[in-house]
Order: sequence, then C-alpha cells, then structure tokens
Amino acid sequence: MSTAIRTSGLTKVFGEKCALDSVDLAVEEGSIFGFLGPNGAGKTTTLRVLTGLARATSGSVQILGHDVASAGNSVRAEIGVLPDVPGFYEWMTAEEFLRFAGRLFGIGRRVLDERVAVLLDLAGLSDVDTKIGGYSRGMKQRLGVAQALVNAPRLLLLDEPTSALDPMGRKDVLDMLISLRGRTTVFFSTHILADVERVCDTVAILDRGRVVAQAPIDELKARYGQQKVVVEVTGGADELAEQLGQQSWVTAVARGHNGAIEVTVTDVSTAQQQIPAMIASRQLGLSRMEAGEMGLEEVFVELVGGVRP
Amino acid sequence: MSGFAAFAGKEAREILRTWRIWVLPGILLLYALTGPVLAKLTPQLLGALAGDQLKGLVLPTPTYLDAYGQWIKGLSGTALFALIIIYGSIISSELKSGTAVLVLTKPVSRTAFVVAKAAVHSAFLAALVVAGTLITWALTAAIFGRAPGSALWSSALAWLVFGVLFVALMTLLSVIIGSAAGAAGAGLGIYALLAIAAIWKPLGRYSPAALSTAPSTLAAGKDVAVLWPVLTSLLLTVALVVLAALSFRRRDL
Repeated sequence: MSTAIRTSGLTKVFGEKCALDSVDLAVEEGSIFGFLGPNGAGKTTTLRVLTGLARATSGSVQILGHDVASAGNSVRAEIGVLPDVPGFYEWMTAEEFLRFAGRLFGIGRRVLDERVAVLLDLAGLSDVDTKIGGYSRGMKQRLGVAQALVNAPRLLLLDEPTSALDPMGRKDVLDMLISLRGRTTVFFSTHILADVERVCDTVAILDRGRVVAQAPIDELKARYGQQKVVVEVTGGADELAEQLGQQSWVTAVARGHNGAIEVTVTDVSTAQQQIPAMIASRQLGLSRMEAGEMGLEEVFVELVGGVRP
Repeated sequence: MSGFAAFAGKEAREILRTWRIWVLPGILLLYALTGPVLAKLTPQLLGALAGDQLKGLVLPTPTYLDAYGQWIKGLSGTALFALIIIYGSIISSELKSGTAVLVLTKPVSRTAFVVAKAAVHSAFLAALVVAGTLITWALTAAIFGRAPGSALWSSALAWLVFGVLFVALMTLLSVIIGSAAGAAGAGLGIYALLAIAAIWKPLGRYSPAALSTAPSTLAAGKDVAVLWPVLTSLLLTVALVVLAALSFRRRDL
C-alpha cells in the first residue's frame, strides 16, 4: 500500500522553542489516522507544515508522493483541509462559500451543483439561508468539514474537527469519517481519545513535539495491555490493594467495576506469581485474575503523563 | 488560473456586498457632487462669512478650473487618507480572520492571492475615479456652462496612478505589518515623505513624489510634465506588488 503522508526528521523551531522535534510519520493511503496529543504538543504546527502553510526548519514532508515544499497547487488540488478554527467570509451563505471553494479547485458547474447539494445536506445546512456571520460555532465547524470535501480529496487533513460540536454533531462527523474509510485517507488531530478509538485504525501520539508512539490502535493497546492485571477477590480488596501498591513491581493500582483491582505492573510474570501468594497469605478467595486491556486513554496517559512544565 | 479568477471574483463580490461599497465610493461621490457647487458658491460663502472684513477685496469670479481643483483636492486629501486606512488591512484581515488559510490550502498560490487583491482593488479605485470625474465634469458643465475635459482628465488620471501606487504600497505594508493601524500609520508616513521629497527638483520631476502635487497643478490648467513620474510610479507599483507577493510567500501562516 502506498503512503499518503511521510515525514522524515520533521523539525520546526520558533525562536528558541522547538515545536516539532524530528517527527517521523508514515500514514498509509486509505487509513483513518488519529494524531493525538495534549494541548501545545505540536499537532496544529504539524498540520500547518503538512499543508504548506508553514515551512519546516529541517526534515522532509511528502504528501501523496510530492514534496510539499515545492509541489504547490498540484498537492493542494488533491487534499482537503479543515483548520482548528475555520475562518469564513461572513457575508456569504453556506452555499455561496461551497461554490466559491469549488471554483478555487476549477470544478465545473454541473459537478459543483451536485456536490454542493450533497455537502449542504451532510452539514445539515440545506435549509439555512442566513449568512455565515450568524452561524453558531458548531454550524461553522460542519461547514468547515463540508468545504474540505468539495474536491473529493484523496487526503483529508482535519485539525480538531469535533472539538466544537455537540454530541449529535460529533457523531455525524465521526460517522462521515468512517464512511470515507478505504476511499480517502483521513488524518485528524484531536485530544478526544474516544473519537480516535471509535474511528481510527492507526494512531500517533505526539508529546512536546516528539512522536512517542505510532502504531495501529489494536497493536498499541495490546503492547500496553500486557502490563495490566485485573484481580477480583471475595473480600478484603481494600487492604490487598494497599499492599499491592507497596510492591516495587507495581506502578499503579486502581479500583475498577465490581470492586476489581486494576494493577499496572512492570513485570507481568512476577505479578502472576506474587499476587496469588499475597491473596493466599491473607486467606482471601480469588474470584478472577487476568491480564487486562489498557484503554487508549490509559496508553495516552502512560505515554504523555507525568509532571508537565 | 481558475483559482486566481475565482478568488478575484470573490474579492469583487466582497466589495459589492460589504461596507467597502459605501466608504470610499461615498467619500468620492460627496466630493464629485459638492466640488462644482462649492467652487461656484465660494465667493458668496466667503462674503457671507466674512461680512465687512473683506470690504474692498474683490474675489475672482470662479471658473470651471476651480471646480476641477475642488475634485482633485478631495482626491489628494480625504480620499487618499481613507484609501491608506482602508487598505491597511487588505491582507492582514484575511490572516486574522482565518479566511486566508482556507483559501491558501486550495489551489491558489500566495502570489495569486496578493496579485488578485491588488488588481481588483486598483480596478475598483479606477472605476470610482472615472465615475467621480464624469460626475464632476457633467456638474461643472451644468453650473459653469463650460467644462473642457483635458485639465480635468489629465489631473484625475495622474492622481489615479498615484492612488494605484498607494494600493500596491498598502498591499505590501499589510503583508509586512500585521496590525492594520500600524500599516496605515506607515502608509501615511510614506505619503508625508513623498510630499516632502517632491520639493527636491530631481525627485519632483522624475519620481512618483511628483504625483503628490502634479494633479493639482494640472487641474489648475497649468502645464506640468508627468510622463516620467507616471512611468516611474507604474514601475514602482509593479515592484511593490512583486515584493508583497515574495514577502507573503516566505512567511509562515
């Protein structure tokens, strides 16, 4: 499968601040790629470099096989972009803006008529005749997604596409992204982990300008899931949890559903030997003990957590 | 090319559908309509205001040249200052509102973005100056009974070249200076420098600085050579737009 986005050693420096530090990304065509990171991690800067709005200090960026720094219009003709806060001409209506966007791509009138109707419907703006200046943030965001699709792009780049939407609007946008799977490569940045878990097949986690993990979601969760053990006992769970928390091979203890103890460990085999022994010494009954799956949220916290400057 | 045409079309529609259609056209229309009337009534107005103080002083009878002078005075003063202030945000407003990002991630080059703006607004200014000059011409003929065209049109067109130069200058300043007020302030400063530079003969004869005073001289029916100032102004206009495009291409958005 070919690569839609490939960055190599991508670095962006603002004065003395290194916003992106040797970022390597590879996004396969047809995938839905989640670009996760806390606020200030460098997600928007990455997207600005990918779209040619900003220049990399060093490193290379290939979009659909073209060097983004020199390709110009040929790359832009094949991508759709939604910035984090899309700006519109407020004196236009949604239909006028979509037609304007289509004309920028040189789309013929007949095709544009059809696409505008479909996209207005998709954005839930078919019956809205007011000017964009009177729109809510959610309406603007939905229009932003629609305008990014006007050229039927091979690659869709979205910066926090669901952050301003209500639950229904979020669901609509995520459903729309799912419907594009296999036809359009979708690269979207977000800090909403549930969105990524729901629609993405691959994820990269960015922290302080560095990619700290990049893998298919299942692989990422499995990689970290092996380090979690879930234990259920017949009684005395609180005391057992306290004792577990004092062990050197335990990094975290949390309480899950039905009184279960979720133990994050550095060495699973030691845990598998020691936990039953501790339960036996306390004369407790062991109801369940299994390797638990870490959620993406826990993976995320594990990778980017800790004290932040 | 389709991107350029589509963006230029947007720019033209934006003029027609926003405050832009009221401010500069309003100012020019006001001067075009009132210039000939004020020129005709100036002696009576002065007489009424001064009362006995001007007794014995005979004011010359106003002519069509006074009407032309009023029109050019309006263009060179209020209209030019308004132009400088309005176009202080010609590029930066699109950067601030985020609209430039949506446009420039589509097949529109940054050069096309800058050139389309400079071209459309220069054409808009030209249309306004031609319309205002036609109104002045017609009203002058109606009020004074005589309105030879050469002094009026030569002065108005000379000013138009100067105005277009300032559209280009403000385009560049709006790329370089993010603040609209800052760009406008720089534009006014450059205008003041040009007006001072025109005093020095070589600059006053060959450079764009000559066009800060030449239109008034032409409107008064006097001869002044404007070929070189017009040529150097047009060259400088092109250079400023090229510089604006180059500067815009280099910057991070």
